[in-house]
Amino acid sequence: MATLELSALTKSFGTAQVLHGIDLAVRDREFVVFVGPSGCGKSTLLRIIAGLEEASAGRILIDGVDVSQAAPVDRGISMVFQSYALYPHLTVFENIAFPLRVARLPEAEVRQKVGRAAEILQLNDKLQLKPGQLSGGQRQRVAIGRSIVRNPKVFLFDEPLSNLDAALRGEMRVELSALQRDLDATMIFVTHDQIEAMTMAHRIVVLNKGRIEQFGTPMELYHHPATRFVATFIGQPNMNLLPATVVGTDKDGLTVDIAGGARMTLPVDFGTAQKGDAVEVGIRPENLRLGKGLSMKLRVLERLGGTAISYGATQTGQKICAALAGDSPVREGEDIGLTFAPQDAHVFDNAGRVMRRLAAPALAA
Amino acid sequence: MMIDRLNIWQKIGLYIATFIFLLFILMPFIEMFRVSLRPMSHLMTADFTWWSEDFSWQAYRDMWVTVPLLGRYIFNSVFIALCVTVATMVVVIPGAYAYARLEFPFKSLSLGGFLAVNMFTGAVLLIPLYRVLRQLSLLNTYWAMIIPGVAFLIPTGIWLLRSYLEKIPRELEEAAYVDGASRLYTLRRVVIPLAVPGMIVVSTSVFIGAYAQQFLFAITFNNVRELQPLPAGLFEFIGYQDTTWNEMMAAALTGVLPVLVFFLFLQKYLVAGLTAGAVKE
Repeated sequence: MATLELSALTKSFGTAQVLHGIDLAVRDREFVVFVGPSGCGKSTLLRIIAGLEEASAGRILIDGVDVSQAAPVDRGISMVFQSYALYPHLTVFENIAFPLRVARLPEAEVRQKVGRAAEILQLNDKLQLKPGQLSGGQRQRVAIGRSIVRNPKVFLFDEPLSNLDAALRGEMRVELSALQRDLDATMIFVTHDQIEAMTMAHRIVVLNKGRIEQFGTPMELYHHPATRFVATFIGQPNMNLLPATVVGTDKDGLTVDIAGGARMTLPVDFGTAQKGDAVEVGIRPENLRLGKGLSMKLRVLERLGGTAISYGATQTGQKICAALAGDSPVREGEDIGLTFAPQDAHVFDNAGRVMRRLAAPALAA
Repeated sequence: MMIDRLNIWQKIGLYIATFIFLLFILMPFIEMFRVSLRPMSHLMTADFTWWSEDFSWQAYRDMWVTVPLLGRYIFNSVFIALCVTVATMVVVIPGAYAYARLEFPFKSLSLGGFLAVNMFTGAVLLIPLYRVLRQLSLLNTYWAMIIPGVAFLIPTGIWLLRSYLEKIPRELEEAAYVDGASRLYTLRRVVIPLAVPGMIVVSTSVFIGAYAQQFLFAITFNNVRELQPLPAGLFEFIGYQDTTWNEMMAAALTGVLPVLVFFLFLQKYLVAGLTAGAVKE
């Protein structure tokens, strides 16, 4: 139940700068996910918020109080680690009670608080077991139990689901979302998995090379990615990027020649783009359908039932992925034609910045 | 595993090799035992035989009479070695933890220094040590045998335990730190319980080291009979006229026996501890 603010946070390890001036404001009771490829600095950022690493410069404010120099426990944060970091020699009860024992709480209070945490996490009958006797999901819950037991202001999760199998991961995603609602807590969750980010977050921070590429709601990121990086990172399968050349601009938008395909007029805010500029047209696989326009040689077809994911390439060698209707009459090895609605297209300039889409769905509230 | 399967000839070879190896190590003990069973009169004359009629346990009874303080010597030996082990571990555990986890100036230099110290045998340092102990008026006390023992065993202890502590996942300590635990609290409640198997290995090696090195310190720094450990006490079997070899061997074996039994028990625990404490990641 707290706000978290980061201002001009930087971090260098020796000569390597891993975070370049991070500014971020997390609202009270918000579930924010940091997502990005490995090495983007997301874990380092989380460890700085936790107090496990010291920032090279910048400030961290929790509930408006500068905690940059405070010890983790005084910041009012708690953290769940990727490996759970359970103490193998202690029982589940003592693992969850650990922060309370450190704080020297009376035995009765410890019992009551651990009991409540165990109840929330359905660990009541496991309290006397050792972590080694638990399944992956149960260990995960013990780690969460240890973090909720001392009522922190901000919860930090460092890729906590990456050690679970796919089915359990889906289950834990739902549980975590429910837990966040029940606890009314501010949560920061780090992951490299964009599905976890999309499904759980109120707002997502996309990090790349130590910078925030975009901070927004999942649907904002999906419909209005600020950069080419965000566009290709969010959404599954990844967005297709097609090289194109500007042939004209008018009140309807930007007219482009797509390499190996058609001339189209796309409703975007083209800014200073001029005839002859090289741009990239981004189109999500789910927005492609059979029709005239782009022709593609279909190499691999994955029929998932509802959809048929088609992988192929144009004559110019441009790789394309399309999510077609499940029973589309296409076969591997065939040449197929694809088309898309102009308002579904994203256009990126040379520097990878997006041209604002004018006909796209309004931002999610 | 298929790859571990041996055919019959490989197995026979393996057992023969093991037998030769064990014989080589145990031969002195076997010979000690044989000598301890034989009467003095036959000891110098008889040819080598594995067994003869006049073997008896007589020496094991007589040795207590020949050297009345023998029981005390055995006690001293174990007592000194135990004190050395405890004192060494008290220093080694926090020391090794510091070397495993903390960053401080001259860390690798001082670690190298420890290794260098180990290259001097105690014998080289006997004279300076004698002067130091005399200055501190510790000659002819238990301390004279305990303190140098501790000093010589700390470096190896730190080296051994440090590498074990480094294997404990750092995240466990970070989790404790995030929850507000101090370094010492983390050491006590997280690190030490997980390091028990490693600590047993180190204290075992320290105990053996302490047991082995006490002879040198005892004959140099102590001439109070009541404080002598067994290795020094065995000298009393060497008389003006003759040496009662059989009783000396019997006393040596008797002195080693309690330690041997202790380690047999410890070995069981050691194996159990190694699997029970295994840290799953």
